[in-house]
Amino acid sequence: MQSSPNMLTKFESKSSRAKGIAFHPKRPWILVSLHSSTIQLWDYRMGTLIDRFEEHDGPVRGVDFHPTQPLFVSGGDDYKIKVWNYQTRRCLFTLNGHLDYVRTVFFHPELPWILSASDDQTIRIWNWQNRSLICTMTGHNHYVMCAQFHPTEDLIASASLDQSVRIWDISGLRKKHSAPTSISFEDQMARANQNQADMFGNTDAVVKFVLEGHDRGVNWVSFHPTLPLLVSAGDDRLVKLWRMSDTKAWEVDTCRGHFQNASAALFHPHQDLILSVGEDKTIRAWDLNKRTSVQSFKRDVDRFWVIAAHPEINLFAAGHDTGVMVFKLERERPASAIYQNQLFYITKEKHVKSYDFAKNVESPPMLSLRKLGSPWVPPRTLSYNPAERAILVTTPADNGTYELIHLPRDATGAVEPTDVKRGQATSAVFVARNRFAVFNPASKQVDIKDLSNSTTKTIKPPAGTTDIYFGGTGCLLFITPTHVSLFDIQQKKQLAELAVSGVKYVVWSNDGLYCALLSKHNVTIVTKALDQVSTLHETIRIKSATWDDAGVLLYSTLNHVKYSLLNGDNGIIRTLDQTVYLVRVKGRSVYALDRNAQPRILEIDPTEYRFKLALVKRNYDEMLQIIKTSSLVGQSIISYLQKKGYPEIALQFVQDPQTRFDLALECGNLEVANEMARELDRPKTWSRLGTEALAHGNHQTVEMTYQKQRNFDKLSFLYLSTGDQEKLSRMAKIAEHRGDFTSRFQNAIYRGDVEDRIQMFKEVDLYPLAYLTAKSHGMTEEAESILEAVGLTEDQITLPTLQQPLKVPHPIVPTFKSNWPVKAAGHSSFEKALLGEVGAADEEAGADLLDAEEDVQEATLARETLDDEEEVTGWDMGDDVEVEEDVDFVNVESAEAGAGSSEADLWARNSPLAADHVAAGSFDTAMQLLNRQVGAVQFAPLKPRFLEVYKASKTYLPATAGLPPLVNYVRRTVDETDSRKMLPIIPRDLETVASVDLQEGYAAMRSNRLEDGVAIFKRILHTLLVNTVSSEAEVEEAKKIIATAREYILAMSIELERRTLPADTPENLKRSLELSAYFTIPKLEVAHRQLALMAAMKFAFANKNYGSALSFANRMLANGGSAKLLEQAKKIKAQCERNPQDQIDIDFDPFAEFDICAASWTPIYSGSPSVSDPFTGAKYHPQYKGSVDRIAEVTEIGAPASGLRLFVPSQF
Amino acid sequence: MDPFSVEGELLNIHSAFHSGSYQNVIDFDTTTLSPENQLPAQVLQLRAQIALGQYDESLQASDDIPDLSAVKALALHSAGKSDAALQLAQELAENYPENSTVQVLAGTVLQAQGHSEEALALLSKHQNSLEAVSLTVQIQLQQNRTDLAIKEVQAAKRWAQDSLLINVAESWVGMRVGGEKYQSAFYVYEELASAPGTSAPLSIVGQAVAEIHLGRLPELIANSIVLNVLAGKNTEELESQLQQVDPSHALLVDIQEKSEFFDTAAAKFSAKVAS
Repeated sequence: MQSSPNMLTKFESKSSRAKGIAFHPKRPWILVSLHSSTIQLWDYRMGTLIDRFEEHDGPVRGVDFHPTQPLFVSGGDDYKIKVWNYQTRRCLFTLNGHLDYVRTVFFHPELPWILSASDDQTIRIWNWQNRSLICTMTGHNHYVMCAQFHPTEDLIASASLDQSVRIWDISGLRKKHSAPTSISFEDQMARANQNQADMFGNTDAVVKFVLEGHDRGVNWVSFHPTLPLLVSAGDDRLVKLWRMSDTKAWEVDTCRGHFQNASAALFHPHQDLILSVGEDKTIRAWDLNKRTSVQSFKRDVDRFWVIAAHPEINLFAAGHDTGVMVFKLERERPASAIYQNQLFYITKEKHVKSYDFAKNVESPPMLSLRKLGSPWVPPRTLSYNPAERAILVTTPADNGTYELIHLPRDATGAVEPTDVKRGQATSAVFVARNRFAVFNPASKQVDIKDLSNSTTKTIKPPAGTTDIYFGGTGCLLFITPTHVSLFDIQQKKQLAELAVSGVKYVVWSNDGLYCALLSKHNVTIVTKALDQVSTLHETIRIKSATWDDAGVLLYSTLNHVKYSLLNGDNGIIRTLDQTVYLVRVKGRSVYALDRNAQPRILEIDPTEYRFKLALVKRNYDEMLQIIKTSSLVGQSIISYLQKKGYPEIALQFVQDPQTRFDLALECGNLEVANEMARELDRPKTWSRLGTEALAHGNHQTVEMTYQKQRNFDKLSFLYLSTGDQEKLSRMAKIAEHRGDFTSRFQNAIYRGDVEDRIQMFKEVDLYPLAYLTAKSHGMTEEAESILEAVGLTEDQITLPTLQQPLKVPHPIVPTFKSNWPVKAAGHSSFEKALLGEVGAADEEAGADLLDAEEDVQEATLARETLDDEEEVTGWDMGDDVEVEEDVDFVNVESAEAGAGSSEADLWARNSPLAADHVAAGSFDTAMQLLNRQVGAVQFAPLKPRFLEVYKASKTYLPATAGLPPLVNYVRRTVDETDSRKMLPIIPRDLETVASVDLQEGYAAMRSNRLEDGVAIFKRILHTLLVNTVSSEAEVEEAKKIIATAREYILAMSIELERRTLPADTPENLKRSLELSAYFTIPKLEVAHRQLALMAAMKFAFANKNYGSALSFANRMLANGGSAKLLEQAKKIKAQCERNPQDQIDIDFDPFAEFDICAASWTPIYSGSPSVSDPFTGAKYHPQYKGSVDRIAEVTEIGAPASGLRLFVPSQF
Repeated sequence: MDPFSVEGELLNIHSAFHSGSYQNVIDFDTTTLSPENQLPAQVLQLRAQIALGQYDESLQASDDIPDLSAVKALALHSAGKSDAALQLAQELAENYPENSTVQVLAGTVLQAQGHSEEALALLSKHQNSLEAVSLTVQIQLQQNRTDLAIKEVQAAKRWAQDSLLINVAESWVGMRVGGEKYQSAFYVYEELASAPGTSAPLSIVGQAVAEIHLGRLPELIANSIVLNVLAGKNTEELESQLQQVDPSHALLVDIQEKSEFFDTAAAKFSAKVAS
């Protein structure tokens, strides 16, 4: 029998025979009691032996952890039951009483009880708190091999070599030992009557059922965790399933298969499975409902003795002749695949679901793969093909099978797939749009198949290949136990090979340039050409990995999420409380699938790795950003920066003066070092700073540090070498003051001060030296006075031959005045960025200040940044362009009959909109349409727009060499394939106009660039004239924009005209005043109208037209808005109210309703005749009828027109 | 065995040619090829040279071998000697209508000079020549007969599903049909662009074009003019750039034509009152 592919061994120990096993409920620990009298405590996750407990004599057969306390219990062949504390690692006490081997020991789930089964044919219950025996159950007439508490009810099951299983009721015992006062006399009577006393009159524990069915001794019995079921294993090689009710218990079925004694059996805690082990060296799993064998695992030589289940995790342990093995029945890694923003995965119910990362929603099930493989085997891998919307699923069942399934278009529920292609393979991956590769280890070949599942190509993979992975388009990665190789399918050749052992998973980066090879304990990052970039080792198992968009690998181990940069720098991001499989990183969220195949989102702090990444990429701006916005501090990042040679950056993070000082020295930032040294003010610090400053040549700092250290000698020498005579003499004074003659002498030498030297010699009574000095320097008088003083004459003295007196060299350059040229290390680009930004901010602030100080003057109309930019309500549109529903359809004759008509021709045929005709290149029909719709007659201004639309209509696809490229037509109806509905794309849609062009126009107004403004608004009109929109609402919006543009062009033209007028003659002045008044009439945004009003008010005021100025001021105050403007208005209003008269009479009635003629810029009072332009709606005096509109310069004023069409409802 | 097939030794040079990596074709080491493949390889190399504007070698090609004369015809055409090219192509079409190189190259010349029907007639004689199919498809598309092109591709897919040329031809058709086919065409180009054997300018351009049609707007030279107009940017610079690279590019010619057309069309309209 081959070992089942599904049983995954997680841990194995080598020891003598293991007889008892217990899982720790929370920690990854397992207790193993051995035949050799030892009890071992293992960490099965790390694979390490934590402790050994050796106080039993002879084999230890039973162990159990206490569910909550740091205790465990053991029982052995020395008849003893021992209770241990694993924290203090001591045996707390021993319970004596059994008269033969103790087979099993168990803690009660909640009460302070221990249950023991013994070869002395008794089952005993002990209270471990008062260390007493509280109950002895007799009845079995052979060894009791096993006794267990029911997980929730007051029941015990026992198995004995007397071939029976017994169920005991211990409710009496519980009542007796819990709150005895609450039991009334009646209760006691009732209980005494109800329960039959056993032969010893014991009512605490009574036999409820005796289950007979095994033909030999029974070795083990277990309760089902939730159902009223029991399972037992016996020497008759059978595993029996029993059911019980309140009144009876009976045998349900038998699982046959073990061919030697069955040692133990238990229920799977979560699934409908029974697990059993036996001396036939097998572990078997049985279907609880069908009682059929699901899978089995065989060891070569070791007989199994015991099996235990972890209470929570899907984990089991079995003890055998040479140790224990901890294993899982199945992989818990959910099969999944990612495409762009979607995750496809298979749930525990074998449903295919998808998860949208953008919306964070889970789809309903799309498919049910219930029939895939065997019911107990989850699918292993999933590969997704976006082009065909198909998935490839592999399952290890039946030695590996794959299925190719097309996903339904919409997720409607767990439907059974209809068109399924399947075959034999352990791995299957899509390698191209219409190809996938399957690997069959039996035939040792990789088949490349097309979507109809027929083989198009066969490849021999390298010997020993265990798995295949996608290797980039058209390539495969072959995984062998020692190597990974990259293979080009089309060229059928191996492109590269890399020695990496034990690779289990391959994770590609989002851009497909890098790939991470995961093995149990290693992550190797390679390029797409399989060149190794970095590798790292983890002591804890690596479970999964995914790439950040920036090229950082995030990987999960059993208990951490970690990251690795391409250069191998790695670190911990967060801890995990349960194992998850990472699938995607997006910002601060890591998406993962947990072991129940539920998508989960883990919050992470990506700051650290982003910072390191920015550092590696030298992206200083981003680093700056991170430093500013996040609290990225801590020793680790500092030491990282230091290690990487970025002390100047580390400096930014540190507050501690000592560390800052060290870092500043390291990066040569003397300023900071100096500052910190002052703060610290320790001799050692000063001396280090001095050394560093000296190395830099920064002698001013050096001087300061010497001063601080009172290092006079060095200070003197420094002054000497820098030529600072003044300070040197001060040093001499200090020396004199200090009475330090050596120092004084030294200074005198440095200064070449002979008198001082002589004086000093005299002071210390060294007259010979004083005399000699005086003599040698030719100071005869002084020499004689010395002689006199000591009472000697010249001839009494023998002098050595005198040479030239010592001359102190003087520095030629007075370097003390400034520092020597300093090492130009100064600032890194990072610091520059930091400084630069500060500078910019300052400037800005300065600019603001300037701004604030500037006076409000007419020419600077628009310098104001108007804060109240909100939409003006109640647009008075005047005469709107009317939309008529008659279709002026221009039919375009189709081209030559031989060839078909091009799509451009179709466009013209499909649409009555001028823009579509323009895109189709049919300019003449487009012009006809515009002529009819809005009376367009002067097309020259529209030429750029026509060509713009036309240029955007086609693409050129290079095809056969030597022939012109294929022309394709760009549609706005992207999803349309019906040739009668295809329509061209029109650039600069309404949204762009509204959000870009219009804002540009407003900006031009604000910043007083009126010529630009006129051009921009004209362009807006032209753009809208040749355009399409997608709804009636947008038609309305377009009309609004047309009206806005008209008003702005009108207003700006008036103001421009006024500025060209010289104010030299009274007529011109009058006209200027009028124009400035008219400037306030067009319906501009309120903020802009305030500017117009302000200008008009000031201008009128300046020319003593107080009446007009007053009316402008009133209008401004009525409009509200910027406080500064209102302040001005109030002032002027106050002044004007004293004398509200106009000095110059102008044609402007502030109280009448009127429009401005766009040609003559004179008022058209309501009631007087006017004509309007069919496109812009601008008003003119009647004499302008028939000429070209002054606003958009396209249409004829007063021309008959049906109205501009931008939208055809049927098109959408 | 078809030497261009997946198993054949000409596969790589063939793929390189059709994905536009002409320099790779010219640099291809042909000495190791078997004798019967030498001629097709030489033809491909000459065509690559023509594509790069190096006509000399091709113009001196011998007239004895029809394959090489066909190359010569193409070279003549590309060098601007249209009449001589047309004459030679027509002669070849008459004398060697069964030769697949003649079919493709003479067909190219005929089509390029506007003799589409002749070209199609010649190409229809092909015997499972993928190049002939792809050329036919292109001609049909240029004639706006998408329906016929679809049929042609469908027929060819039955016997050559895996071929690069057919995949590309299918995506040409897809770009005309639109809708979901845009996406499939995009996948084809994306795959070509990312596979090491076929990653070349043509594949990338194709990918970009498909993206434009899909309404995604990335950037690329000839297409980035279109693109920049769509994105509202200035295109003069690009246009002058294109003017230098390829003054006769269809886009420029077309725009020039339309500009003139505009002026003539606009001249028909005028305001009644001169302003």
